[in-house]
Amino acid sequence: MIGQASQETKVAEKPAIAVRNLDFYYGDNKALRNITMDFQRRKVTGMIGPSGCGKSTLLRVLNRMYDLYPGQRATGEVLFAGRNVIGSGVDINRLRARVGMVFQKPTPFPMSIYDNIAFGVKLHEKLSRSEMDARVEDVLRRVALWGEVKDRLKASATALSGGQQQRLCIARTIATRPEVVLLDEPTSALDPVSTARIEELLDELKKEFTIAIVTHNMQQAARCADQVAFFYLGELVEMDSTDRMFTAPKETRTQDYITGRFG
Amino acid sequence: MTEATHTVKSYEQELEHLRSLMRQMGGLVERQTAQAVKAIVDGDDEAAIEPPELDPEVDELEREAEALAIRILALRSPMAVDLRTIVAALKITGDLERIGDYASSIARRAMKLDMEGGPSLVGLRSMGRLVQDNLRRAIDALANEDRDASVAVWQADAAVDELYTAMFRELMTYMMEDPRNIGTCIHLMFVAKNLERIGDHTTNIAERVYYAVTGEMLPSVRPRGGRGNMASLQS
Repeated sequence: MIGQASQETKVAEKPAIAVRNLDFYYGDNKALRNITMDFQRRKVTGMIGPSGCGKSTLLRVLNRMYDLYPGQRATGEVLFAGRNVIGSGVDINRLRARVGMVFQKPTPFPMSIYDNIAFGVKLHEKLSRSEMDARVEDVLRRVALWGEVKDRLKASATALSGGQQQRLCIARTIATRPEVVLLDEPTSALDPVSTARIEELLDELKKEFTIAIVTHNMQQAARCADQVAFFYLGELVEMDSTDRMFTAPKETRTQDYITGRFG
Repeated sequence: MTEATHTVKSYEQELEHLRSLMRQMGGLVERQTAQAVKAIVDGDDEAAIEPPELDPEVDELEREAEALAIRILALRSPMAVDLRTIVAALKITGDLERIGDYASSIARRAMKLDMEGGPSLVGLRSMGRLVQDNLRRAIDALANEDRDASVAVWQADAAVDELYTAMFRELMTYMMEDPRNIGTCIHLMFVAKNLERIGDHTTNIAERVYYAVTGEMLPSVRPRGGRGNMASLQS
């Protein structure tokens, strides 16, 4: 499985997102150092590394989530759809609809299951009632939640289990039809069965979306990702196909980290 | 490879234990092979006793190594060099166990053989010496995690194959000369075949060591001697 994936990774297609010489600062603190990497279209890119290595920071740069905080800035280029998304004059709301994000803890809005999905869609598209119904059903089916919630779409989303909430959040993210889905440790708060469901879901989603996933779970990266990037102290140490990274990484630092020798 | 040790000490200890089981097996199997070769080429019946006696110990070590490897795979989800070491250990212990079996088989034949007036053992002697030497170097490469040494062993098996082909030819000639040689020659043919097989398993060990150390596989086609001639001999 991972062997196959690595073969596919080699087929060069224009990357969905190309990061070039990216530096990132939290005030005076440089959190990312000269990052250059590609996120391949319709592939899963896993990002691993010890806490504070910059992997989540990079994820937050890709859809400018960092804009919400003062004193944080990025320099360099993040090329997405022909534009540098960290440059000026970017429609940030539009960007976030095209580069969606799912967080570590499920973050359902305190509203009904239906409205959780419809809410974001309404911001970007004018849909008729029946079109919206169809959209909600479609995304809930794709995250394998439809069967479980179809009879209680008007019930509060907060009543769902953690795993269901996370799948709802993924449904909500893909409802705006993004090109890229960013996942920041999406299963770290979930039980193994819910985790397996999310991982299974990623396999489906990558047929359509470019996916970047930050995870602390090495096996998860090995199972889900086509290519894996290892970050350490704000640097991209090594990036390669998943099977290379986990069987024969080139860098000693990568090896020491993934085998549990430091970090 | 890496100098660092695991954050989890018991994991480090388990891997070290696995390596130590391989080294123990390597030592025993080297001893079995040396004694077997001595038994056959020197007609030393004393030496022939030990190889079969050591077999149960080798088998037990193999089982222990296998159980430990499975346990580490299940509990530690090993990655990179650790994963490679464990997978290599599973294969290497299998190869060592087979080598032990071949050595025992040679020793048992040695006890049955009466070499008085039989064919010359010069070829078998050099083959035995070469096979032993390669095995020792393979086990050293394993213990020292030595990439270059593993490549040298891997390349050295061609000479064993050549000697085997020469032995085959030689024994065939003896049998054609005098049918009374056939019994002894068949035994010696099996001994030569067993030595050749030991050589192949030694090569496998070298390949696994190379993989464990570098993460790369040696080419599937290794340098071979003699095989081409075998085909023409058998047809």
